[in-house]
Amino acid sequence: MNVLITSAASATAQIIIGALGGMHTLRLTDLPGKTSGDIIKNELGHESETDELVTGIDAIVNIGYQGQSGSNTHLMDYHTRRMYNLLQAASDAGVKRYINISTLKLFQDHEENLVVTEKWRSDPPAEDIELLVAHMAEYVCKEFARDRLIQVVNLRLGWPFIGDSLAGSDDTAAISHGMIGESITAVLTTEDLIQWQDIHVQSPVDHQRFITKTAARLLPELAGRLSS
Amino acid sequence: MKILILGGNGMLGPWAVKAMQDRHDILLTDINDPYPEYTGKFQKLSVDDVDGVVKAAKGMDMIVNLSVLRPHRQIAFDVNTMGNYAMMVAAREHRIKRVITTGPHFQMVGQQYEEWDFDLNPDMPPAPGTRLYAHTKALGQEICRVFSERHGIQVITLLYYNMKHSWNLGGPEAPVVYHEDMVPFSTAWQDCGTAVRAAVEVSEERLASKNEAFFIFPDLPHRKHDNEKTRRVLGWRPRYQVERLWNKDSRNPESHLTEAF
Repeated sequence: MNVLITSAASATAQIIIGALGGMHTLRLTDLPGKTSGDIIKNELGHESETDELVTGIDAIVNIGYQGQSGSNTHLMDYHTRRMYNLLQAASDAGVKRYINISTLKLFQDHEENLVVTEKWRSDPPAEDIELLVAHMAEYVCKEFARDRLIQVVNLRLGWPFIGDSLAGSDDTAAISHGMIGESITAVLTTEDLIQWQDIHVQSPVDHQRFITKTAARLLPELAGRLSS
Repeated sequence: MKILILGGNGMLGPWAVKAMQDRHDILLTDINDPYPEYTGKFQKLSVDDVDGVVKAAKGMDMIVNLSVLRPHRQIAFDVNTMGNYAMMVAAREHRIKRVITTGPHFQMVGQQYEEWDFDLNPDMPPAPGTRLYAHTKALGQEICRVFSERHGIQVITLLYYNMKHSWNLGGPEAPVVYHEDMVPFSTAWQDCGTAVRAAVEVSEERLASKNEAFFIFPDLPHRKHDNEKTRRVLGWRPRYQVERLWNKDSRNPESHLTEAF
């Protein structure tokens, strides 16, 4: 499968690249100034460069949370206008699936004892620009799915990301690097998805905060590693 | 009341100013120069200039955002989305309690609704779809909603569609056509302006929540959209009913008894 990964220089993208690299043909992109090696620099504007970027691509993995840094207005612009440009180009090119990597932090203000699932409305804080723009990126994606221009999986990941270390006792929403890679691998190939699909994923930890039954149901190869 | 108007030199601005200028202290801003006939306070300002909007909003009681840009991909986002972000940052910074934003009805009533349903009302969840103008305005409205929920800022969203000159019911973009299939969401420019005044002046007690939207059009018989909330809550009474667009009564009767028998 030909997979485009955005914000490729970000830490989140690097985890994903490491997981997908041996299985898929990856095309990596990021904004100019953040590119090196195999990463294609692209502004995600509305001109032909973005069309060329998505040509021949089967699926896009978009880093919708903490893929970029900079001023508040830059982040707002990136996660609204540039997402729109990318989705429009992808729709026009017939890209089959768009995986938006978002965050379960959009529910962080809900009490921990609440059984938060994909059926709950997120609650982005206006004062946290990274979460606000993650929410806005989700909004843009959802409208493309609503218009049936492209299938979108909105994959909300837990936090913090943990590598080789164990989750701390307070990290009740933690997700391992391995779980991130496996979940995206599964989302790329699973077939039983509706046009817009939220999926919540975190690792099984003590006092696990978020329910992951939707992920277990839709991504069977992941089910055994999720909390039942 | 001291009111900052953003994007005041567009199509709607002069009508909103006309409705409010004798009742409120207005600072008009726009990226373009004002109309020569305008004699009030003016500051050149682009609505997507967040720092500039924050500065202009100092000391204001209210912000009214009338800015709009439709066809250009970059500028549509700058104006329609970033403009509302700038307004809400300014409102938060200066503890401004009410903002009014405007846009097209399809930032809420996208094709999903409009091609299927009737009695469409402004309390439905927005479903704008991907049409650039609707989408960018809807993003702006969503930013307002998030800020409103977090900071208690009263947001009033006024939604329009088809604006008409009162004298011939034509619009600025197309000649008038009588007795054909009209847009069932048409409003005279004067009434578009008085709706802004109504939103500025409505008491907080009449508003059910901190984030309220209203459809601005007169009583039309189609029942495609519903303006009941606008009349009930804002107390807005349109002067023009655009009746000649939906009624086939002769405009030049032969005598005063035409259609009497």
